Amino acid sequence: MSLRYLLQRLATLLLVLLGVSILTFAIIPLVPGSPARVMLGVQATDASVAALQHKMGLDRPLPVQYWSWLSGIVLHGEFGNSLINGKPISEQVRHRLPATLVLAFAALLIGLLIALPSGIISALRPGGARDLGVSVMSQIGVSIPDFWLGILLILVFAQYLRWLPSTGYAPISDGLWPYLKHIILPATTAGVISGSIMARFVRSAMLEVLGNDYVRTARAKGLGARRVIGKHVLRNAAITVVTIIGLQMATLLSSIVVVEIIFAWPGLGSMALNATLQRDYPVLQASVLLFATSFAVINLLTDLSYVLLDPSVEYA
Amino acid sequence: MKRLMLILALFATLAALSLGFAQKSGGTLIAAWAQDPVGLDPQIASARSSLEVLENVVDKLVALDPQGKLVPSLATSWEVSSDGLTWTFHLRHDVKFSNGRPMTAQDVVYTYTRMLDPATGSGQKYLLGSTQTVTAPDPYTVEFHLKTPEVALPAHLAAQASVGIIAKESVDNGTINTQPIGTGPFMIADYEPGNQVVLKKNPYYWQKGLPYLDEVDIKIITDESVRQTSLISGDVDWAISVPPQSLSQLQNDPNIVVDKTTAGAYWYIGVNLKHKPLDDVRVRQAISYAINRKDITDAMTFGTGVPTQDPIPSSSAWAFNYAPYSYDPAKAKQLLTEAGYPDGFRMQIMPTTQYPESVRGAQVIQQELGQVGIKVTIKNLEWAQWLQEEGKGNYDTYVCSWNGLVDPYDFFYAQQRTGQVFNFTGYSNPKVDALLDQGNSAKGFDQRKAIYQQANKLIVDDAPYIYLYNPANIQAYQSYVKGYAARTDQNIDFVKTWLDK
Repeated sequence: MSLRYLLQRLATLLLVLLGVSILTFAIIPLVPGSPARVMLGVQATDASVAALQHKMGLDRPLPVQYWSWLSGIVLHGEFGNSLINGKPISEQVRHRLPATLVLAFAALLIGLLIALPSGIISALRPGGARDLGVSVMSQIGVSIPDFWLGILLILVFAQYLRWLPSTGYAPISDGLWPYLKHIILPATTAGVISGSIMARFVRSAMLEVLGNDYVRTARAKGLGARRVIGKHVLRNAAITVVTIIGLQMATLLSSIVVVEIIFAWPGLGSMALNATLQRDYPVLQASVLLFATSFAVINLLTDLSYVLLDPSVEYA
Repeated sequence: MKRLMLILALFATLAALSLGFAQKSGGTLIAAWAQDPVGLDPQIASARSSLEVLENVVDKLVALDPQGKLVPSLATSWEVSSDGLTWTFHLRHDVKFSNGRPMTAQDVVYTYTRMLDPATGSGQKYLLGSTQTVTAPDPYTVEFHLKTPEVALPAHLAAQASVGIIAKESVDNGTINTQPIGTGPFMIADYEPGNQVVLKKNPYYWQKGLPYLDEVDIKIITDESVRQTSLISGDVDWAISVPPQSLSQLQNDPNIVVDKTTAGAYWYIGVNLKHKPLDDVRVRQAISYAINRKDITDAMTFGTGVPTQDPIPSSSAWAFNYAPYSYDPAKAKQLLTEAGYPDGFRMQIMPTTQYPESVRGAQVIQQELGQVGIKVTIKNLEWAQWLQEEGKGNYDTYVCSWNGLVDPYDFFYAQQRTGQVFNFTGYSNPKVDALLDQGNSAKGFDQRKAIYQQANKLIVDDAPYIYLYNPANIQAYQSYVKGYAARTDQNIDFVKTWLDK
């Protein structure tokens, strides 16, 4: 893979992000409601709304606001301040990003722990009893709404069994066990649903690879099942699986927003939702930009990983 | 021997008494809030979630005791000039802000001047009524100069944290919206928007020995069933509100105290008098006859609210309990026919997802009005959009509440008097205006009550607001949380709270 290719991809990524930021800036103010009115509540008068909007800089022309925001990011790496509470957004992002990342990775891990074994087991004997069992379980997993599962887990494990805390995030400075205790329920909620979806894709990927000629050749050569699967099948199925993970990240991240709300998890998802409800424009724009960046980066990483997994893939 | 027994008995009694009254200092209270504060600038923030935090951070000149009577706070005494236009407040000498600086009259002047300044954009300055300026003739005396007399000014200065005294430093260094500096029992140590607010004991607090708690950790848990679970499982010590459906479950839990009191608040249907046919009083009265307030209250509050036809709750000394309407669909149809709508008409009602009870109420109202021919469509909006539509008058009717009301002025003036800030409905009745103005300057409880009784009757008859019920103020906490009581004015007050564990 050439450096030129990499630079081209990065340049495209930046252009995409620029486009996303312009689009969000243009669309978001069209939504009815304003942060000034949200702050003033029912007790808003036209005069106080106007005064607050002026303080918030919202009476400037939109291109001026956009330029001021963009230059803040490009020149200073700062997202500006929240309109609702005045706190620097970069600070909030710094606090919340680790929380969302750890939740995303834990959920992905749990999802893979569910998807990989189930997908492989069901693909080895398609149509058999195990395949059917996995199929039913994954169907249930796909159909469960995330907020329902979250509340159910809280009820069972926090209220009835008292094994785990119901909400919140414990920083790692509180100790490893409290940190893990708080992650388990939210990660399981997001992970179970994600894993159920991925299981079906893993199964199809495995089936497809298992049906290939080189697998039959390997078997015909007399190689044991473990070697066939371990050496040939998995490596070739890995590409499909990596693609699936890349695509699933989008669903997973949106699931995480809901999970963060239920579990009062202080991540970027709940920050984005609160910003939407409160019409906190700069926070919302920062959130959209961050989510768009993460999708684009995941996309890029997925594409680049193919080179590692499949020597026949080449990017010029 | 007898003397020894007597002495022992005396010691035992003293010991028992001291155990009973021994508040334990220290500890952290973990409290669950339902919503994120929307900014913490006392003069701008209007959200209840903001005010509930600020109540523990700022003090007011005057306060309300749990029974709703005015008591001194930062001001030790106050009087009004004979023409009613100058109110003088005498301040305590021993008050310090949480940054250690002593509070003087200049701080009071600063606070209220900022509030009155249009550039601040305060939505709460109506609490200062007709105050034109605030001055400080000496370091411990403050004068309010009014344009028209206002008997209820001290009551407003006790109303809510919006009129709390702030330190100029927090405005100057730009942190007024996240860490306002006040003289209250606690100070804001940390505010993570959407996640938590950490309050720490104010080391300079003027009430000696208080607060008992070292810290209050306010966690924002928006989902009400999760909030309830956190309370039951012991993850939080105190919860600001619990689903009313679960009250009996919580009341049966020996570890949980359910604290219920009447609230100085009311829920109502606001009618847009600028939209036909709602400008006809007979149509509005027809609506008032067509609805079954008991059904609506049960749907909205699961039985914890008290249906009412006028705004002031029966538990208040100011209650009138004027109830000319009844659930009478036949009478409603008759009124509609008289007004020229024998087949009814189309109407919109606007609840908000912010308050799920308003959605439930709108559904019952839609069904009941349908019985008399009024075809209702429900326009259910999320909060920010609801505020926009309500502010611009884009509605036929809406469902909402007023909270934290104490003086009859609070229940009527800003909402029903012509041209006042919160008169959203466009209601204008010169007789009501005259009465409400009179109520501002009349002296003495009996005289004021008589005036407001007449105003109350006119307003209920004219029905610009169709009153539904008075809600209860319900909080729940662990049984080891002592020294806390739910208040009628809905303020959250942790100053005397301590943990018995």
